[in-house]
Order: sequence, then structure tokens, then C-alpha cells
Amino acid sequence: MTLVAVGLALILLAGLGAFALERQPRRADQVFRYGVLAGSGAAAWPAVVLLLRGARSSGVAERLPGGAYGLDLLSAWFLALLLGVGACAAVYGIPYLVEERRHRRVGVAHLLLAVLLTALAGVFTARTIIAFLAAWEVMAVAAYLLVVFERERAEARRAGLIYLVLTHASTLALLAMFATWSGGGVESRFEDLAGGRAGTAAPASAILVLALIGFGIKAGVVPAHFWLPGAHAAAPSHISALLSGVMIKTGIYGLLRVLTLLGPPPPWWGWTVLLLGLASAVLGVLWALAQHDLKRVLAYSSVENIGIILVGLGLGALGAAYHEPALALLGFTGALLHTLNHALFKSLLFLGAGAVVRATGTRELDRLGGLGRLMPRTAAAFLVGALAIAGLPPLNGFVSEWLIFRGLLEAGGAEAASLRAASAAAAGLALTGALALACFTKLHGTVFLGKPRERFAIVSGAPDAGLTAPQRFLASACVVIGVLPPVVVPAAAGAARVVIPDAGTAGDLGGAAGAAARVTLVALSLAVLVALVWRIRLLDGGRPAARVRETWACAYPGVTSRMQYMASSFAASLLAAFGPLSGRRVVAGPGSFEVHAADPVLDTAGRFLWDRLQRGAARARLLQTGRLRWYLVYLILSLLGLLGYLWTAT
Amino acid sequence: MILSPILSLLAVLGLAPLLPGIANRIKSALTGRRGAPVLQLYWDLAKLWRKGVVYSSTTTVIFRLAPVVLAASTVLAASLLPLDGRRALLSFPGDLVAFAGLLGLGRFLLVLAALDTGSSFEGMGASREVTVATFAEPALFLCFTVLVIATGDLRLEGMLGRPLVAAWPLAAPSLVLAAASLFIVLLAETARVPVDDPLTHLELTMIHEVMVLDHSGPDLALILYAGSVKLALFGSLVVGVLVPRGQLAAPLALGVLVAGLVAIAVLVGIVESVMARLRMNRVPQLLVAATALAGFGLTLLLA
Repeated sequence: MTLVAVGLALILLAGLGAFALERQPRRADQVFRYGVLAGSGAAAWPAVVLLLRGARSSGVAERLPGGAYGLDLLSAWFLALLLGVGACAAVYGIPYLVEERRHRRVGVAHLLLAVLLTALAGVFTARTIIAFLAAWEVMAVAAYLLVVFERERAEARRAGLIYLVLTHASTLALLAMFATWSGGGVESRFEDLAGGRAGTAAPASAILVLALIGFGIKAGVVPAHFWLPGAHAAAPSHISALLSGVMIKTGIYGLLRVLTLLGPPPPWWGWTVLLLGLASAVLGVLWALAQHDLKRVLAYSSVENIGIILVGLGLGALGAAYHEPALALLGFTGALLHTLNHALFKSLLFLGAGAVVRATGTRELDRLGGLGRLMPRTAAAFLVGALAIAGLPPLNGFVSEWLIFRGLLEAGGAEAASLRAASAAAAGLALTGALALACFTKLHGTVFLGKPRERFAIVSGAPDAGLTAPQRFLASACVVIGVLPPVVVPAAAGAARVVIPDAGTAGDLGGAAGAAARVTLVALSLAVLVALVWRIRLLDGGRPAARVRETWACAYPGVTSRMQYMASSFAASLLAAFGPLSGRRVVAGPGSFEVHAADPVLDTAGRFLWDRLQRGAARARLLQTGRLRWYLVYLILSLLGLLGYLWTAT
Repeated sequence: MILSPILSLLAVLGLAPLLPGIANRIKSALTGRRGAPVLQLYWDLAKLWRKGVVYSSTTTVIFRLAPVVLAASTVLAASLLPLDGRRALLSFPGDLVAFAGLLGLGRFLLVLAALDTGSSFEGMGASREVTVATFAEPALFLCFTVLVIATGDLRLEGMLGRPLVAAWPLAAPSLVLAAASLFIVLLAETARVPVDDPLTHLELTMIHEVMVLDHSGPDLALILYAGSVKLALFGSLVVGVLVPRGQLAAPLALGVLVAGLVAIAVLVGIVESVMARLRMNRVPQLLVAATALAGFGLTLLLA
């Protein structure tokens, strides 16, 4: 834990250095780059060692400034993925923000990123309520400031506002949760909360509901997802990578930590999580498909992946509730592995999107196209990310989805008859996967393939190493986990065992570790087969040489690049089949045709609630007179009220 | 012991191009024409293999890679099925996810290759292909779920192998429903009537064919071959569910499978002769109906 603290201090110092050296950009960049890399390495080292060794827990809580912190396998899992993605985002952010130097001070962004990383690390390791909530708030505020970094854009300010409201609703729910749980003592350590050892015997169901609200909002679960797309699209791209890749996972971490402390939840909670997960997965990817904005597609797809993670988590909770430890282990392991995998491929995709935005200055899919020839490295890395997020072998997304599918199917053979119904969720997950395939073929196809829809002044070749190196690193991580799941599956299972300690008898995931080796075999066979067919394909059987011609257009001569299928037309037939659920709105008039991608929740419930809130606030404005004497009256009245409360309480 | 799965795999891979030929021949016979030879696809493949390739100037390496990956992943998916009735070449719990994933990988790259040409026709085909595939996927997985629960085995070689023999007397209605659902999925996944018409003459009415409009020569041969293998794969699933062969000797089981595949091809031909292609916006409804069939099967099992 000391090494973690030292590493985090180093990251903070690097951020301060970048902030202070604003006048010497080159030196500031060097300080930030190497400071963050060294700090992340130092802080991640103990976590990675712990995970690879698989020790139960080294993490007794240690007193550090602001409370007690500890590092068990669950914390280590999240800390390791945070620092891996964080280091990539920071290194990428340096060249990404260079052009911003003309408009504003970018040292602030670097400092805020360092603060955000530290706060996230605090959330993942805190062992007292006060430390956890403090880190949670610092994280929320730092993220807000980064979302509105380009504050001259109205869209960014609006997204920031919605985010700020929702994140505080989340904090409020967590405050209520901890208050009911501990009976008021914010200094309580987590271990005192465990197993109902706290003074009050607060009903577990109240805690679980509040946890689901608080952490669910943060994770972006449907129907509380609507803050996410705007905020993640508005932030600078490397920040989006961190927000989508890691920050929303604090909600997942929180739910798992609560389960760790509380023990097996009742079945209804598991079912609720499972169904919320399914709804988020299907609707998230459906709405992602409807978007026309490169980064909003990615943001909505985060809602989808949170849904997949929650399906795993809900299955794990059900397994724990029905005393099926093997099932619980599969569910939690799948959820944890998908958390890592999503962190890797989503930040990879956001970094790729950032490179596209830097090169072209636009995020509108209907203006992009044909960039693969100009930015081959970004296109290749983006393809790896797209294949991985669609859950296809031989990449990492497949491994975690395979674990969750296995868990769902194994639930079909469970003792409890009602638990068997969970196996039907496999169909929902399959629908999600198929929609993800549609969504990411659309994204890669319309951005990188085909003919350019507009001319952009892109200098091809020799892209900035700072922009491509992190993408290459993340892409290789996706490939390695996809080809060699036996390396990471045991570590994920170790972290899952923290949540359900009585799974010791479940052995090696009911053979999953052995089966993981078979996934390696599939991946390798695929590679060999592709190489073989490619080789055979190249055999020259006296065949005429390949010719290059225009694309065949059925003999129509006047083809232009504007006739290509675009993002919205590609998705049209699929979205039409889902009707108004898809959020696709067509406004057609004489000589005009517009397609809008609305958010069904934000446009109905969100707007309704906001209107009510504003009307209520207008009424409360009566109190806001602007006269000092009234404020003094309020002050005295509240003082008297407090005194009265104390008097009645004692 | 490993010899029998390998030989069965080779047999199925070798016989796969026969199936579209049979289906088309039946269709011709029923509509009063003589029709092309049953072995037509073999001749087409041989001819295409010798022909030169024309690449569009818009395309990138993805266009060249897609047919290769499609063929490789489809063949690998075949190796996950217990074609001799007992054992698959590659088997592990949950391999059905890999089966669907490998077919998805081929589709992903083929769709990208279509978008790579920048042709509006191929974009149209790709858009329709992902629409159809989206609705076929849940039906496929629900059928797998029915099989898993009926047999208690998470491996394809168990779901379609010996445990299935024991499951039949107990779960016959569910298995029949699943097989019916799988047959609809087969029609959708292999681009046959009533979902898609392989013999249509107008690009605007095509799905799969128009998506591969720009592929030529050996690339097109690989795509056509992979298509026929896919028909054999889904045919093997249907036959495997309806005719459990776990108790038969391997050569006999393979013989039954081949006979079953021929029967499936005949059935496909009959369906094509008596039905017209559905309107595009009706196709999702057909596939939702297939999902509902499998869902009924699952409900019967769970009740």
C-alpha cells in the first residue's frame, strides 16, 4: 500500500509540475509524461503482483492521510486496470492537447487528469466511509471540470450540467446508504460494516436498494444513463477514454464491494440487477446504432457494456442467493473480466476517435469516410477494438462474454427451478452481440472505409508517436487476453472469490480455466487456418494478374461518393424494425429529409422531471430575496432549529 | 479415435457444395424446368479459381482479407460440431458461443468488405445482412439453451451427441420446436427464400448476393464455398437435433448425417418453389416467430 501511495503522489506531482511549467511547454510535457508513467508503474506494481500471486489478501487496512486504505484482490483488479488505462490516456493526452495551447492553458487539464486518477485510486482502495465518499466527490468534480474543458461550446456546458446533477443524485443515495448502514458514524471502517456487525441492524434490503440507485447512476444503467453520452462525448478524447473505460466502473466496484461486506443478497436483488443489465445492454447498443456522432456511438456503447457486466454481476448475485457457488463464481468472474476488457477496448476506440477528430475536426459520421488510407495505423487499431467490442474471437471481448454465456446456460441446470429461467437471458445477450456487430461494422465502415465524403487536409504517414503508441499498446492487450485467456481468467476468478469467499469448493471455475486453454486453441487454429487459406489464395495457378478498376455500379456512370451508404442509412432498416424504441426520428418535408437520434429516456422522463424541478425551484426563489437581513433571519432560524434538535435528542 | 472426427469433417467439407445444387435442382424440377447439374457449384468454384481478379480502386486490404477469414472461420466452426455423432474435433464447455462467434467474425469482415468498396448497392446489401443476422441470433441462442437444458451438457458434442439420445423421450416437444426454429434460422443465415432469393435478377431485391457484388475470381469462390459450408453447418444442427445419432457407429452416423443434409437441401428446394420471398420489413417478424418457437420449447422444459 505504501508503494501505491508513493506512486499516486508521483502522479499528483507530475500533474502539478505540468501545471506550474505552463510557460515551458516542452519541459512540462516531459515532466508529465515520465512522472505519470513512473507513478502508474509504481502504484500498479503491488496490485499486479498480488493478482498474479493470487494471494487471498495482503490488504489489511492501513492508516494514511484521510482514512484507512487497503489492497485486496478486488481493489487490486480495479487499480491495475485504472492505472493501465490512465497511463495510456495521459501519454496520449500530451500530443492531443498540444494544439489547444493556442486557445487555453492545457496544464490545468493535465493536473485535473492527475487528480482524477488519484481520486479513482482512492475510491478503489478506501476502507473507511469518509475516505470513500471524499474520493468519490473529488472524482466527480474533477470529471466535471474535464467534461466542460472546452467550455465555449454550449453542448459541453449542457452535458456538464446534466452530469453534475446526476452525479450528485448518486452521491446523495450513497450518503443515505452509508448512513442507514453504519447508523450515522462516517468514521466507520468497512470491516465494521461487514456481516451486520455495525451498531444498527439496518435492513439489508434498504442498503441494497440505495446501493443500486447510487452506484447504478454512476455506472450509467438504463434508465439513469442519459447523463453519460453527452458528458463522454464532450470531454477531450483521452478523458472520454478514462471516463468510459474506468470511471463508470466505480459503480460496478461499489456494488461488488457492498456484496462483499453484506454477504449473499436476496434473490430479488439478483433478478433486478440481471434485468436492468439486459435492458441496458440491448437498449444501449440500439441507441448507439442510431447515433450519427462518432463519440456518442462509443458513449452509448458503454451503456451496453455496463449492461453486459451487470448481467454477469446479477448472475453472480443469483448464484450466491441460491447457494450455487460455481454459478456465482462464473458470473462474478465474467463481470470482472468484462470490466477489464471493456476498459481496454473502449479506451482504445476513444483514442482512435480522438485521432480522427484531431485529423478532421469533426465527429459527424456522415462527413467522414475513407480515412483508412490516410491513417492506416489508427484504422488497424480501431478495427481490433471494433472486433473486440463485438465479442468476436480471437479477441478479449469474446472471452468475457463466453464466461457470462456459460454462466447463464449453466443456470439452466440449477437445482432451484426458478433460477433456471435465468438461462433465457442468453437470448438477450445474443441480441446484444448481434446489434453490436451491426453498430461497429457501421462505425468502422463509415469512418475508415469507402470513398471520402469530404476532403480533409490530412498529412498522411508519420503520425505522432504519442497518439499511436497508446493505441498500439491497448490493441495488443486486447489480442493477448483474447488469445491467452488462461493468463487472466485465474486472476479475475481470484478477485471474484473476494466477493463470494465460500466458492472455495467450486474448484477451477468448474473447469473454466481448463476450458480457457481451449479458447487459446481456437484462436491459434483460426490464425493458422487464415494463414493457410491466405497462402493457398496467393498460389498462382496460371491466373491472369489482378486488375484495378472502379467499383462496379451496375454500369451507371455518374457515381459520386455521396451515393455511398452512410451511418444513418446503414442503420435505418434495422432501427425501423424496433420502432419508436430506437429513438430514431425522421423529419421529412418537401425537398428535405432529416434523421435525428433522440434519447427516449431523456426526452420523456428526463425532460418531465427537469421541468418539475425548475417549477419547484421557481417557487423556492421566494426565499432568495437578496436582502441581507432576511439571510440573517434564516441563519438564526436554522441555528435555533439545530439547538432544538440537540435538546430533544439528548 | 481422433480419426473419425477428422474424416467426418473432411467428408462434410467436401460434400457441402453439393447441397445448393440439390436445392436448385429440386426447385427447377418442381417448376417444370430441367435445371443446372447438381454438381454445378463444383464447376463454378473450379472456374472462378482459375479466373483473374478485379479489385476496386477504392478498396483496402480488408477487401482482400475478408473472403479468406470468412472461409477459415466457417471451416473452424465446422470443427466444433460432432459430425460423426459423438465427437467434435474441438470441444469445450460453452463452445456454442465460439460457434456463433466464428460465424460472426466472418460476417463482420464481409460487411466491412462491402463498405470498403464504397458502392451503394453493397452498402444496401450489408445493411440488410446485419438486419437479418440481428434477428436470427437470439433464435439460435434460444435453441442452444433448449438443447443445453434438455441434455445438461454445455458442449456441442454433448448437446448433439449421446446425451441427446437420452433426452429425446423426456423433451421431445421442446426439441421438435427447437429444430423448427433452427430450420428458419438456417433459411435466414444461408440467404434462402423466404428471407433472400439467391436466384433473383435485380440487385435492389438481393441481400447476400448484392453484398459480394464486387468480389471476383478466387475471392468469390471462397465466399461461395463458405456459403455452402454454412448451409451444411446449419443443416447439421437441424439433423443433429431431429435424428440423435449418439448411439450409432461413427460411419453409420456420418451416413445418416449426409442423408439428412440431402433431405434438408430437398426441403429448402421445396420451400423455395412454393413460397415467394417475403418483403424486407416482414423478415424480422419471421425471425421473431422463430425465436418465439424456441421460447415455447424452453418454457415447456422449464415448466
